[in-house]
Amino acid sequence: MEVETGDLVAGAIMLVAGLLGLILASGATDNEMYVFGLSLAAFAAVFVVGLIRRHYDKAEAHARGENRHV
Amino acid sequence: MYDALRAPRYNDDVVKKFVIATVFWGVVAFLVGVIIASQLAWPELNLGLSFTNFGRLRPVHTSAGIFAFGGSALLGTSFYVVQRTCRVRLFGGEAVANFVFWGYQFFLVMAALSYVMGFSQGQEYAEPEWHLDLWLTVVWVTYAVVFIGTIVKREEPHIYVANWFYMGFILTIAVLHLANNLAMPVSLFTAKSYNVASGVQNAMIQWWYGHNAVGFFLTAGFLGMMYYFIPKAADRPIYSYRLSIVHFWSLVFMYIWAGPHHLHWTALPDWTQTLGMAFSIMLWMPSWGGMINGMMTLSGAWDKLRTDPGLRFSVTAVGFYGMATFEGPVMSIRGVNALSHYTDWGIGHVHAGTLGWNAFITFGALYYLVPVLWKREGLYSKKLASWHFWISTLGIVFYITSMWVAGIMQGLMWRAYDALGFLQYSFAESVSAVHPYYVIRMLGGVLFLTGMLIMVYNLIQTVRSPVTERRAALAMAGT
Amino acid sequence: MFIRHETIEKNAFLMLVLTLLVISIGGIVEVIPLFTIETTVEHVTGVRPYTPLESRGRDIYIREGCYVCHSQMIRALRDEVERYGHYSIAAEGMYDHPFQWGSKRIGPDLARVGGKYSNDWHYAHLINAQSVVPESLMPHYAFMSDTPLDTDDLIKRLKAQRAVGVPYSDDEIANAMADLHTQADPAADNAALLKRYPKAVQVGHGGAVTEMDAMVAYLQVLGTMVDFADPANENMRQ
Repeated sequence: MEVETGDLVAGAIMLVAGLLGLILASGATDNEMYVFGLSLAAFAAVFVVGLIRRHYDKAEAHARGENRHV
Repeated sequence: MYDALRAPRYNDDVVKKFVIATVFWGVVAFLVGVIIASQLAWPELNLGLSFTNFGRLRPVHTSAGIFAFGGSALLGTSFYVVQRTCRVRLFGGEAVANFVFWGYQFFLVMAALSYVMGFSQGQEYAEPEWHLDLWLTVVWVTYAVVFIGTIVKREEPHIYVANWFYMGFILTIAVLHLANNLAMPVSLFTAKSYNVASGVQNAMIQWWYGHNAVGFFLTAGFLGMMYYFIPKAADRPIYSYRLSIVHFWSLVFMYIWAGPHHLHWTALPDWTQTLGMAFSIMLWMPSWGGMINGMMTLSGAWDKLRTDPGLRFSVTAVGFYGMATFEGPVMSIRGVNALSHYTDWGIGHVHAGTLGWNAFITFGALYYLVPVLWKREGLYSKKLASWHFWISTLGIVFYITSMWVAGIMQGLMWRAYDALGFLQYSFAESVSAVHPYYVIRMLGGVLFLTGMLIMVYNLIQTVRSPVTERRAALAMAGT
Repeated sequence: MFIRHETIEKNAFLMLVLTLLVISIGGIVEVIPLFTIETTVEHVTGVRPYTPLESRGRDIYIREGCYVCHSQMIRALRDEVERYGHYSIAAEGMYDHPFQWGSKRIGPDLARVGGKYSNDWHYAHLINAQSVVPESLMPHYAFMSDTPLDTDDLIKRLKAQRAVGVPYSDDEIANAMADLHTQADPAADNAALLKRYPKAVQVGHGGAVTEMDAMVAYLQVLGTMVDFADPANENMRQ
């Protein structure tokens, strides 16, 4: 099953956001930037996990002959 | 193989998420509102801790109310409405729609956290610092692409009127957000920044932004909601197509001028103040154009108000909208503003709009949406919804009447002279004089929160009730 | 002739462009001239950038959200001028990034609070407002006097303000840390400080510089920069 363009776009945004978050957290000179950077990286990681999960759920549903938007 | 009968026509998954977020943030916004209202009645409740002080919690309340509760309602309903009125699924697919949802929620949580941690741009309703502003820009552009993309690929020849308003809201908020938040960060690794504009120019840009947060976030967007859910619940067409055209274009044109009425008698040049006042007064007409169009859509279906509590919320909302958009032009007259500005009258006016109009129209939409989205036959209890309606209405009445009295009293006390021509009252006297009204306002807030909690229970019970065949079939058909 | 609205409503691109056009006009007409018309900001003498300590105090004022309860804008109305002093003029805010005019007076206006009360009064009031004004609704800011002022990025903060138009000179930036400590120590010789920043009020009780010191320094300069009795500012006299 091919990967949707939307998944790629969202994944790409998350890749950039996650890296940016780590950079911000590592250089942060105040609490806010530190918390924000770490949270952004965590957010990106969790979102990507969600993307992967949804992709495989869909692929399995597809294999079973269903076509549902999950 | 693709099975058209089993595939839902629209992406309602993301709408459901926004519905849940709307309910959650509503509780947060009203709860924090009650807390800070109590702090004004009993200042000991500030607790003397940096992060529990009124100054840091107030932006949490306003952001939770406007951007979290209102914003989630707007984004969610816009996704619901645009799919149905264009007869296509959301542009961009599930992942992008999910990014809009989670990205927006992430922004809201981080913004609230940053306020209590002591980071603020120091501009009302634009408190988030530069890094959060940039993140919101990414989310908002994605949202705009999804929404406008869906309109572009529509299968209906016409763009439905609700979508004009949603689109106006999305575009204008983007412009306002970018212009008002231009700032120079102290460094790339510091959240603190200094706005590019200063003094009088900064004031003008801020209130151009601030008033159009009202005009486009809290008005145009919610009018979009009105233009879908009222005709739908009443099962009647919009009262006047021509009126919707005239009031849409005049509303979006005039609102943008109204900002300077927040700066009457200040160091802002007179010509700007006068322009702002003139347009604010003219704005009364397009505002009431919207009210009449919403209200009159019920002609021939007024009996539904007795049986449909959701519709009752929506229609009362339009009534409050009419009231607040009459009060606004009155307060924008310089003579009136000399008395009303800086007082609690302004707070009362804002809440007539936010509680009466924005929250009520949202409640109406939620009572309609939850059974439809979760494919339930109907609400768990219409009776509870009626209780919600009356308790909340009473809460609003407590709130706005107490603030009228408090505000006008402050205004009069500040300008009162004694027989010898000296100012009659010290500022502190005006503070203790309004104490009883602050208590009443807090009680109004408690009532409104109570109504909200009743709704939460009602909606949860609705979701827990069984799916019905009829609703499931309707959902497949894409209504 | 009425243009057929159908044309717009069937074309998403047209609708988008027209909406953007219609919403731009008001903002352009009201905002752009404020940057170009010379009389918008009056020419007066006395307005200077904040001292490093005052500037840090202003950061804290913004951080704590003081603007949600206090205005800094005396309107040109008889009672306000009598209560608070000369009405505020645009020039007084020209180095305020962002402006702090506020929109609500839960507490009184602060545009000219500088010099109205002693330093000691401000310390007592910020620690426990009700101890000096029993009716007050103000939260307690005692934690500020326990918090040492963070000066690590002081220079960066001043430079960021310079980047947006506050005319800090190289000399002022170079001496920023020294000026900050001079202003926070009443025993220190403040001749150089006053030369760079006239009317700067010395605060503090010796010892480590706290956030409270910065806050009081900021409050004490509010509204004092322009001398309305000065003949140079005659056109501003009421």
